[in-house]
Amino acid sequence: MRFMMLIKANQDFEAGIPPSKNLVDAMGRLAEELGKTGVLQSSEGMKPSSAGTRIRYSAGRRNVVDGPFAETKELIGGFAIVQVASKQEAIALAERVVTIHAECGVSEFEMEVRPLFDPGECAERAA
Amino acid sequence: MRFMMLMIPKGYENAAPGAMPDAAAVAAMMAYNEELQKAGVLVTLDGLHPPSMGARVSFSNGKPSVIDGPFAEAKEVLGGYWMIDVKSKQEAIEWAVRCPASNNEVIEIRQVQEFLDFPSDVREAAARYPEIKAATQRRERHMRVVR
Repeated sequence: MRFMMLIKANQDFEAGIPPSKNLVDAMGRLAEELGKTGVLQSSEGMKPSSAGTRIRYSAGRRNVVDGPFAETKELIGGFAIVQVASKQEAIALAERVVTIHAECGVSEFEMEVRPLFDPGECAERAA
Repeated sequence: MRFMMLMIPKGYENAAPGAMPDAAAVAAMMAYNEELQKAGVLVTLDGLHPPSMGARVSFSNGKPSVIDGPFAEAKEVLGGYWMIDVKSKQEAIEWAVRCPASNNEVIEIRQVQEFLDFPSDVREAAARYPEIKAATQRRERHMRVVR
């Protein structure tokens, strides 16, 4: 099963403060381990929402608004895509990532674990 | 420049486990995906099952805490994404505007952080881990193919 592990943005992220060397080290070691076992498929970080834009669709119109999006609590800072055997395994992995961030002194951190559709699943639906 | 186009569908925050988008919407979206692919800008895309099938993990007092979905307080949730590689943010916006989105849906465009954008000490720390480097190289190869 593939899961998307969404990392929520926090204040430091939105301020453009890069991760500490300790955190890069600890996450690097985890990425090494997960890359070797084939669990980690990809991971990316994003720029703060000030570099972003939102397009809202309503009644056939497109409303374009530039970031930052201070009002949303659901802002994403980065993500990883993992291949694991179960949702429990994905959650256990998220717990490790959360623990690493806590140990590296990050005070505000949340992840969301979401199963992905199989690529064929939606295609069948349209056929 | 790589951008994520994050699809935030209204109402998906309350969707039942196993909920699927309707067939007409999927067909329209697949035609759009094909356009992105033919233009050589599509890097990758995925759809996410509803949050009722997911979980949130945070920490309190240093210990991880897990909450199963759906997430009562969430007004906006991710339903899917495209990663595209384009020349400018303007081009990313133009692609997003063409998306056959439904009423009240939002696409959030976010620029992807490139390794070289990080300060040099962070890059040096990350360079010690070959897997991070390997992932970057895999991505660069993939991008050359896409271009």
